[in-house]
Amino acid sequence: MRRALGMSLWVAMVSAGLAVFLFLPHFVSDFHSRDLAQAGAFFIAIIGLDLLTGYTGQISLGHGALMAIGGYTTAALIVHEHWRDVWTIPLAGIAAGIVGFVVGLPALRLSGLYLALATFALAVAMPSLIKKFSGLTGGSQGLQFLESSPSQVTGLSGKVTVFGHTMTQNHFLYYLTWSIGIVGLGVAWLVVRGRGGRTFRSVRDSEIAAVSSGVNLAWTKTFAFALSGVYAGVAGALYAIQTEIVNPLSFTVSISILLLVGAVVGGLGSLSGLVLGALFVEYLPTLSTHVSTREGVPDFIYGAAIIVVMILLPTGAGGLLRRLARPLTTWLYTRP
Amino acid sequence: MGRGIYSAAAALGALAVATGASGAGSATPGVTPTSIVIGGTIPLSGVASAYQTVGKGAAAYFRYVNDHGGVFHRKITYLIKDDQYDPSQTIQKTRELVEQDHVFAIFNSLGTEQNQATRPYLNAQGVPQLFVASGAGTWGKDYKQWPWTIGYQPNYLAEGTIYGRYIAKTAPKSKIGVLYQSDGYGNELLAGLKRGLGKKAKLIVSKQSYDATDSDVQSQIAKLKAAHANTMMLFSTPLFTIQAYNYSRKLGWRPKVYVNAVSSASNIMGIATNATDKKQTEGSISIVFLKDPTDPRWKNDPGIKLYRSIMKKYKGVQPNDVYNVYGMSVAHTFVEALKKAGRSPTRTSIMKAVTHLNVHNDPFLLPGIVVRTTATDRFPLDQARLERYHNGRWVSFGGLFRIR
Repeated sequence: MRRALGMSLWVAMVSAGLAVFLFLPHFVSDFHSRDLAQAGAFFIAIIGLDLLTGYTGQISLGHGALMAIGGYTTAALIVHEHWRDVWTIPLAGIAAGIVGFVVGLPALRLSGLYLALATFALAVAMPSLIKKFSGLTGGSQGLQFLESSPSQVTGLSGKVTVFGHTMTQNHFLYYLTWSIGIVGLGVAWLVVRGRGGRTFRSVRDSEIAAVSSGVNLAWTKTFAFALSGVYAGVAGALYAIQTEIVNPLSFTVSISILLLVGAVVGGLGSLSGLVLGALFVEYLPTLSTHVSTREGVPDFIYGAAIIVVMILLPTGAGGLLRRLARPLTTWLYTRP
Repeated sequence: MGRGIYSAAAALGALAVATGASGAGSATPGVTPTSIVIGGTIPLSGVASAYQTVGKGAAAYFRYVNDHGGVFHRKITYLIKDDQYDPSQTIQKTRELVEQDHVFAIFNSLGTEQNQATRPYLNAQGVPQLFVASGAGTWGKDYKQWPWTIGYQPNYLAEGTIYGRYIAKTAPKSKIGVLYQSDGYGNELLAGLKRGLGKKAKLIVSKQSYDATDSDVQSQIAKLKAAHANTMMLFSTPLFTIQAYNYSRKLGWRPKVYVNAVSSASNIMGIATNATDKKQTEGSISIVFLKDPTDPRWKNDPGIKLYRSIMKKYKGVQPNDVYNVYGMSVAHTFVEALKKAGRSPTRTSIMKAVTHLNVHNDPFLLPGIVVRTTATDRFPLDQARLERYHNGRWVSFGGLFRIR
């Protein structure tokens, strides 16, 4: 009886979330749905980072570089090969996944802070690497694909027609990004709920214990990196499509750090609060400039807000949700 | 404002579809009987933040105009967004200005790449992209493809040509080393230099480029020196220009310097002089079209007096910064255009006005300079004088000439 109640509550919550997803753009201004779409791109990257850092315990400060791989794959395919923009997204994910796999190899020998530094180095080097291959990447000027391909889904008309329905470009970007985000969340949930998740967590909690229980450490770590890279690549592709331009400044070190902030605020090692982490990353910089635009003040507020969140919510938004729901879940799942 | 029916496909992962969009309003965006809203992007922070006064000077002038009744009783609101000189941010901030703040026009946005990035969007939307703060030739040249776009300042190709001609005429034995930014801006100046040198283009012994995102130009300066250049062209933004003076002094190298107008503001030269010594900057040559507020010649000039009073009253920053004067000049031109655009301005009428300018009374420009455009000549400012840096300030020499 209580189990059935729990199930229906769960279904109700998922449907409520879907309803918010479907109707939110109609309650905010058209332009605002573009901001939300960008938050969606962060959301996808943060899910990937959480799988890696939160579940598997491999700290990455280089996810901005993986996003860059995705973004540049998309941009290069559109500008050089004249692909339609939306079809580049899967390929961007695969490309970043492969790079993620390669980045994962040093993780077999490095751990903790050393791994964080190695991935950080990747993030620092990425803008220079991009400039190095200027034939492909357009150098420091980057690649702009708004001009080169007017037939794109996100073209200049401001309208997009999908399955016979026409909507504004901003709405389209919102639905595209968050649909992929929801699928991504679903996939992540499927990965971590069963044996996969246990394997990931065992590596995080004690590598020695994991190996002695028969976990293939090398495979698990590199798989987590590759999977995380796919998420980052897809996020980078969507980010590029939204901004219609990629240049070395689009994917700097700060975006890597921002993603980690988002994952920590959202709650490392849980999936439920990551949306809030993404919204935090997207909106806090803008909100902090509303307080005052005087030099230094927004940065100060931004930093202070992160500290306050960390003090009040050490386990992130996910931890808070868990704590709030605990009395209910305890009641639902314990036999009377 | 017909809101359509929203239908939604609810399957997970499927795209939701929505029909219906707000109908286009008949009124001109950003214009009410009492106000007019315009906006633009300026690097308030980041590598090119030295240019922020281009926006702040303009903002101060608009406040002055507003306090004197505005234009046809409309107060001008000028929204400045910080793009940090990053084109991807320029796109986002410009979209925000158009779609969220509903500006009448984009005004005085700064940077070549930055404005090129937003130009297709603004032209597709039919939003005027007015007085782009960049000297690239494309703003004036390519109006057939981009009818909603117009520049303001003298263009880089012409500026480079002037330096080239001057060197070919006055110092035909020079060995020229060029430092230039590796983008449209630097390349246009370099192309102009070659054009001006003509047959003497082989005087260029070394060309060193840097990237706008680089941290310094130390190795480039060392290479110019190693090529035995005795003349250095600085086609670089302020930060790198100061570095170039500084590193050449550290290397004990004192070439004759030509510094492009975007970096020759007195305060930039002052910093360069303080960072090195007087001899390093002495004799540098540049072009000028604005009244320099530090020039004692203009001490009692009505234009600079007005400038100083506006800066004082509206708490402008860095009153000795000539980019403030630039900002006021471009704002002055916009106000003149707005008057021409009629009592109920539209985006079409403002474009007509900015392409039929004939402003003789701009108090911030050198005497004799006229802001003039026609439907087929879209370079508002095309006159300048040469100037030489002497004893810590610029002294102009030679007559006013038309640069093309």
